[in-house]
Amino acid sequence: MLSVEHIQKSFGNVQALRDVSFAVDAGSVFGLLGPNGSGKTTTMRTILNILNPDGGQVTWNGKPIDRAVRRRFGYLPEERGLYGKMAVREQIVYFGRLHGLHEPDAAKRADAWIERLEIGDYALRPSAELSKGNQQKVQIACAALHEPELLILDEPFSGLDPVNADILLAVLIDLKKKGTTLVLSSHQMWQLEQLCTAFCVINKGETRASGTLAELRSAWPTRIVRVGPDSPALRGAAEKIGATIAGSENGDLDLNVPATSDFAAMLRGFAQADSIVKFEVVEPSLHDIYLRAIGVAA
Amino acid sequence: MNDFITVYSGDLMRRIKSRPFLIGLMLGTLAIVAMFKLPTVLAPTIVNQGTRLVIVADAPLAAQARPLLAKTLTVKGVVPAGTTVDRALLQRFDADSAVSIAQVKSGIRVTIFAKNPTSVPSGRVRAALLPLQVQHATHLTSAQIAAALDANVEVRSLSTKFHSVHQAVAAQGIAMTLVVFLYVLVLMNSQFVMSAVAEEKTSRIAELLIASVDPMVLLAAKVLVGATLSILQLLVWVGIGIALGSGGGAASAGAANAGAANANPFSLSGLLGNTLSPEVILAFGVFFILGFLQISTVFAGVASLINRTEDLGSISGPMVIPTIAGYFIGILAINAPALPVVTVTSFVPLLSPFVMFARMAVSHVPLWQIGTSIALNLLALWAFAWFAGKLYRVGMMLYGRPPKLAQVWEILRSPS
Repeated sequence: MLSVEHIQKSFGNVQALRDVSFAVDAGSVFGLLGPNGSGKTTTMRTILNILNPDGGQVTWNGKPIDRAVRRRFGYLPEERGLYGKMAVREQIVYFGRLHGLHEPDAAKRADAWIERLEIGDYALRPSAELSKGNQQKVQIACAALHEPELLILDEPFSGLDPVNADILLAVLIDLKKKGTTLVLSSHQMWQLEQLCTAFCVINKGETRASGTLAELRSAWPTRIVRVGPDSPALRGAAEKIGATIAGSENGDLDLNVPATSDFAAMLRGFAQADSIVKFEVVEPSLHDIYLRAIGVAA
Repeated sequence: MNDFITVYSGDLMRRIKSRPFLIGLMLGTLAIVAMFKLPTVLAPTIVNQGTRLVIVADAPLAAQARPLLAKTLTVKGVVPAGTTVDRALLQRFDADSAVSIAQVKSGIRVTIFAKNPTSVPSGRVRAALLPLQVQHATHLTSAQIAAALDANVEVRSLSTKFHSVHQAVAAQGIAMTLVVFLYVLVLMNSQFVMSAVAEEKTSRIAELLIASVDPMVLLAAKVLVGATLSILQLLVWVGIGIALGSGGGAASAGAANAGAANANPFSLSGLLGNTLSPEVILAFGVFFILGFLQISTVFAGVASLINRTEDLGSISGPMVIPTIAGYFIGILAINAPALPVVTVTSFVPLLSPFVMFARMAVSHVPLWQIGTSIALNLLALWAFAWFAGKLYRVGMMLYGRPPKLAQVWEILRSPS
């Protein structure tokens, strides 16, 4: 398990991390969310021991992250880079060797990854000749060749077309099945929602929300109740129970009610007030939770 | 250790195959070949320029002058005094100049008519005709003049290092050549190290590398790859030099510069003799390693702060100054090893690899001075490695505006 406890990091006068904490279960996929400049990349670099925290600690399976532990990690940084003149296959093998693989093993794995990522035509060509998307695939192979216990991916989907994004998604799902713990950041909420089992929202260097989607939702103080068709009688019933009208769309009425409301009693009340054909309790989306956590009203 | 070997071998192979290294090696090789072959090709042209002459004099005087001039110049013909000297005359004899000799009260008067006055070897004509002038001025016999002009000068060495002038002069030539080698290798390969660091940073691969390997391992591997390549270049160049030298090439530039035409430092006999002693070879190796490691380590650390390869020139400019200073003082030390400035700078890190080596090559340096210089260089190397390591660890992850001096100071003060 990865445990990040109250880490802090400053660069001169700039306090990049004030207090970031979260825990990632082994074998899970964890989403790190936050606006640009919120401290996600600094958090990732601190986990990888690229940066030493000024305060707090990061542990992997209860132990501090030293060189030997870090060797079992993989990393895809946001700012991608490759040796432009080095051939693709050679490059993947080189990074495998940097993570402790022997050359024959690294070469065998590189060939498998090249096939998996559909970049066989470029295997012997210099990386600089590849498109940005294909370069990104090479970088993913470099980061994951040694089958890391923990793979950290900073904005892995940025710059990928839909087809390549699907290939990457499939690769990540495969890695998860093999037991790799994944920590990734993305601004594509739908991808994170599809992939991740738990999340942490960071803003201004602080943890604003953390947990599984169910936990985050349960902590949400209100719910939207969508009831229809909209009618004066229905609005009157809503007013009686103290619900506030959030909006009206497609002939339905959206009501904002406390999360602890007795929804069965509410349904009975609305049914008695008017003949309704729809009653739906809408859970907050990850996007809503994110916006609320960073202080932008959802 | 495995990380180091992986990074070192990967980096070494990349750099050996890189265009700048191959071009540098090729240009250096061409320079060595030129150094050996050009004197052979150009010497006759340079030495013989303006030396073909016609004597214009009365027959008895011409008969006396001709053998004297023929010792060092080419006499193409003799014409009687009073012959009109013009370009046609020179053309007729395929000569560069006409030397008109006339007897006067005080001896002889010589007038040289030349197509190109700047190429006239007037000094050689004056020296050649000196006995004739003395003979006509004093009326002594040729034998008396010859005996009087031959001042028997002998130089006996009191140096504990060299037993003859020839050996000392040859050592100066070798020292000159080796100091040039030292300068070229240190500067060129330190700049390669700097470029390699800048390339990894600007191509954004640095973060991926640092996530995989300890930054200090990366830095050390880079610097040692530079040292390996320098040694490789040196071996190639020295090998070519030995091959050319033992093949009967002309005297090296160093030896020629020192005026020891017979002492070719790259001839096998020269290498095996006392001129290039094991002590000098060892000193070259030690001070090359010390100089290279110091300079390239600092270069690598500073290169980690830049964000664009275009900034390399502006940042390396001021840093090259100590190397250039060391080189010039080293050259000075070859001719004047006992100067106070030479002695002092032979203890100053960055300068001493050049200066102490030059002193050792041409003079006897007390052992305690050599030891102190090496110790100070090692101490400086440790300090530079600490400084560069700090910069490198943080600098490689620092993007955006180049850091100000205050930020660099903060980096150096920070605990990690």
